[in-house]
Amino acid sequence: MPETLEIKRLDQRPMTESLLSKNKVKFLGLGSDEIIKYFFSGSAWTAIIVLALITFSLFREGAGFFPQHHDSLKLYRLAGLEFVDYFRDQMTAQASLSRYLNELKLNKTLKLQAAGKGEAEIESLLAPLEQLRLDFDQAGLEGQALLDEMTSMAAGIKDRYTISEENRISRKQLIDAGMKEEADLLEIEDIDFAKEAENLKTTFLPKQKEVSATMAAKMKSLLAATKVENTIYEAEVNRFKATVSKYITGFDSVQMKMQDWTHDKPVPFYESITKFITGTKWVTQSFWQDWYGIVPLFIGSLTVSIVALIVAVPLGVGAAIYINQVASIQEQNFVKPFIEFVAVIPSVVLGFFGIAVLGEGIRVFTQWDMMAWVPGFPIAERLNIITAGLLLALMAVPSIFTFSEDALNNVPKAYKEASFSLGANRLQTISRIMVPASLSGIISAILLGFGRVIGETMVVLLVAGNRLEIPDFSAGLMVIFQPVHTMTGLVAQEIPEVVKGSLQYRALFVLAIALFLISLLINYVAQIFVRKYKISVG
Amino acid sequence: MSNAPTAIEVENVDFYYGNSKALHDISLKIPKGLVTAFIGPSGCGKSTLLRCFNRMNDLIDGTSVKSGKIKIHGVDIYSKEVDVIELRKRVGMVFQKSNPFPKSIYENIVYGLRLQGINDKKMLDEVVEKSLRGAALWDEVKDRLDDYATGLSGGQMQRLCIARAIAVEPEIILMDEPCSALDPIATMKVEELIDELKKKYTIVIVTHNMQQAGRCSDFTAFYYLGKLIEFDRTEKIFTNPSKQQTEDYITGRFG
Repeated sequence: MPETLEIKRLDQRPMTESLLSKNKVKFLGLGSDEIIKYFFSGSAWTAIIVLALITFSLFREGAGFFPQHHDSLKLYRLAGLEFVDYFRDQMTAQASLSRYLNELKLNKTLKLQAAGKGEAEIESLLAPLEQLRLDFDQAGLEGQALLDEMTSMAAGIKDRYTISEENRISRKQLIDAGMKEEADLLEIEDIDFAKEAENLKTTFLPKQKEVSATMAAKMKSLLAATKVENTIYEAEVNRFKATVSKYITGFDSVQMKMQDWTHDKPVPFYESITKFITGTKWVTQSFWQDWYGIVPLFIGSLTVSIVALIVAVPLGVGAAIYINQVASIQEQNFVKPFIEFVAVIPSVVLGFFGIAVLGEGIRVFTQWDMMAWVPGFPIAERLNIITAGLLLALMAVPSIFTFSEDALNNVPKAYKEASFSLGANRLQTISRIMVPASLSGIISAILLGFGRVIGETMVVLLVAGNRLEIPDFSAGLMVIFQPVHTMTGLVAQEIPEVVKGSLQYRALFVLAIALFLISLLINYVAQIFVRKYKISVG
Repeated sequence: MSNAPTAIEVENVDFYYGNSKALHDISLKIPKGLVTAFIGPSGCGKSTLLRCFNRMNDLIDGTSVKSGKIKIHGVDIYSKEVDVIELRKRVGMVFQKSNPFPKSIYENIVYGLRLQGINDKKMLDEVVEKSLRGAALWDEVKDRLDDYATGLSGGQMQRLCIARAIAVEPEIILMDEPCSALDPIATMKVEELIDELKKKYTIVIVTHNMQQAGRCSDFTAFYYLGKLIEFDRTEKIFTNPSKQQTEDYITGRFG
């Protein structure tokens, strides 16, 4: 029989009294549980509100871009800049043809030098090519002069309009402030765009026609006069001749466009959006016309990220598989913190490393004699897609590794045991069970790595080369040795020097919104993968 | 004790998890073509010993058989020359918690064959039917072989795991508490299956369920604190055990 137990407790009050006790600790009328609850919910809400404010301000600053962009495009047409640019395109094409000849000559010179030819001999061999180049340049001089004339006239119209618009605003402000006299000093000119346009057309259309005709004639006779049979550049020059012939036939359509051009053809509003999305030029603070086309930046960001992922995914996922499935505990304890440590290296430090060591190393590598067989080697640019991509890969590996490792860890151990018990070896278990079962997690790890890479700023700003052009994909794989500019890098570079409220300022905000949306999309897709393909345990 | 030839012979085995000794000097002979049950309270080492038979313990870092031998059909399975993969093909295993892969029913069954590079559809189809029939599951799932295996009921999943194990045609099947997560009806079906399977396979089953050991096994081994206390014919263990500890456990006085 059990003895009667005497229960000893600190609180000696009888049960009824202790259950109904009223002397709990209170602060501002709140119990301790409530205080804790409000404290933590306060923290959560602060975070949410800050995030909402960031989003709101981004959109508020960015929203004004499209109307302003539209105005800018309208003025481009009104002031006749568009008219002039038709002709400019023609002259730009001529300049690039000339540049082609120049490069051809340089190339051949290098080849002949490599073959051990003397300087005099090289000169005599290349003399016809050099003559062609000089004459071709000569043929364009007149057109260039005319273009300059047209440019200054159209730019003049635009400047007069801009100044008088600014004056109009200042005047209104002065009048509002009660300073009538000062206000009257500001000149306001109402520009008659119709008259100006008419003037432009009547002045320059005949001239342009004449200049084009002489240019075409000169080029034709030049091509006929150039004899390059049995030279080492015959093929190239023949190709050049064909290109120039085609170029000359294009003159008519340029004239047609200029003939048909009118200053008051309406610019639809959607163009302010489509020109931003599909525009291939990003030109700012130009005396002529600013262009805001996201394409070169987007492609820059994308190429750099793709290179980074191509490097980082095998490394990160492979390391995760190794550490999770193969490595001994000692190795795990060494490798895991080490890889995670890479994530905390400040990106500016990585950028320095990229410029001083990696970029230089890649360039020196391509200059090795034994690498000379690779077409395109040695490379000229030390800051390029591959340097930036490799550094970004370094930054993406830790997150890809960590999340993939987590995903593998979440695969029930029972799967692994079952696989081994059926006679699978380690490789079969990994490839048939572990990786498929954790695939959703691995994919979302890769997507998160992608998000990390595309949002990274400092490294790309320092080492991507910052050239605002679409890289030349005709170079094939060698495209990775070209410099690019990225969305993040550009925002960081231009934001300190823009005028608040200007078109460029707003353009940068729209760029930031685009980045924000891309990141959002990536995260969203990653979450879908995690949810949809979550392993059902049990 | 028995005239049946020996399938698994355990000789003076000591087993360690790191530095802690889990099995103390275990010796027994498991007869071929019969069902042997391992019973004993939790932590007594019965599962550990079972997992030695197909070297599943190799997957756990720091475990080792420090002394003694385990021979299967006369071969010391812990000697260096033994191919573990082959061993596991010959010694199949069914786990405590049913663990079908997150694949279709069909793919679960043929997994072991695909590992061996067998991809002939006709042959796989045959094996699937034979194994599912062997596991008394064919009639229930024959119309939905491409469904996800994880959508089956608990008992069906466990029988699927048995089908998966017999698809690679082992000679010995190890069962680690196969019914501990099943309801009585599913348990009954698995027990009927065990009765059927023993015609072809040697079966070693770990169980916490005394009645189950009594119902399905021919031999029973009782373990306590890492030691083999008694090993004998099942009816002898349950009716007339020679050790006091065995009797105490079986009659429910402890454990």
